[in-house]
Amino acid sequence: MQRTEEPSDGTVVRAVLTGDVEQYAVLVRRYKDRYARYASRMLGSVDAAEDAVQDALIRAYDRLPQCRDPENFAGWFFLILRNRCFAERRRDRRSEGLEQAQEVTAPEGLHASLERAEQVGSLQRALLQLTPEQREVFVLKHVEELSYDEIATRVGTGVAALKMRMHRAYDRLRDLLGEPR
Amino acid sequence: MSHELDLPPSLQAEVETARRHVSLSPELEARVMAAVRRRAASPQQRAWRWLTAPSLPPWALLAAAATALLAFVLLRPASVGSPGVASPLATAVGPESIYVRFILVAPNAREVALAGTFNGWDPTAAPLARADAAGTWTVTVALPVGQHQYAFVVDGRRWVPDPAAPAVDDGFGRKNSVVSVSAAQGRIL
Repeated sequence: MQRTEEPSDGTVVRAVLTGDVEQYAVLVRRYKDRYARYASRMLGSVDAAEDAVQDALIRAYDRLPQCRDPENFAGWFFLILRNRCFAERRRDRRSEGLEQAQEVTAPEGLHASLERAEQVGSLQRALLQLTPEQREVFVLKHVEELSYDEIATRVGTGVAALKMRMHRAYDRLRDLLGEPR
Repeated sequence: MSHELDLPPSLQAEVETARRHVSLSPELEARVMAAVRRRAASPQQRAWRWLTAPSLPPWALLAAAATALLAFVLLRPASVGSPGVASPLATAVGPESIYVRFILVAPNAREVALAGTFNGWDPTAAPLARADAAGTWTVTVALPVGQHQYAFVVDGRRWVPDPAAPAVDDGFGRKNSVVSVSAAQGRIL
């Protein structure tokens, strides 16, 4: 039986760094959708997420020689995208004030889509009024379904601090959504 | 887990919907690769990558270090200013490489290493030797002419920028130190 193994991230990164630029497409295909949901929930729309992921992939290429652990390209790329999302939200707050949440569900049956859009819309609008740190811990925990330990590893923050952020996020969301505490 | 940290039941339905998969445009790959190809073709980018890519294998650095033992002459004495301050010192030994001495004062460290773009950020490639009881650590490495980013790795886990060198943001909240090496007179720019 013949088996074709995908090259590891480290193999691809080293190939790009030694001049095989086209190999970077492997990383683009591998990661363009992996964090799309995170970015869209952090930024409030799929369009904004697409811009952020595109910018982050190009920025990662520019900084590839600085990737200290090529086998952990995924974690390194996530941090670049995370910084991009945080910077976008800071810029939005300065320039636009209160944001309008956009529909972020994939196309499907019209009725179900509208119903879900309304549901996600209220949560998304509320999420956008949290601090970026509170929103991130909520998204990583409940949308990406990571454990607190996994979140701590990914963002470099202690579990206790993450739980405190989550606690405050719940309080704020209850207030914003009119739910009793 | 504390019930206070459970998802409020009122949010459960909305979160289920928010978990739906998000796909980005298939054209994103083409746009990214077009930008990557433009950068790869840019002379400035090619020069920058040549300077920053970890192109030297470990044996080449070892060979260079051995050669340095024969030819090493510092341009100025390795003096340490204030405690905790390090400063890379350099001497020219050839048209394309410079031996640079890095110093860190870290009295409580058990081990210190130098990691940077010149050694693939390998924290084991260039360990510093403790030079005195005051906790001065030094290492000399051969660097190609050009600009390099680096940091000290203290006790194998703490990445410390050089307090005496300029620093740049590494893209995710930490600082890398920068050393620019010129062949002219063995001076650091």
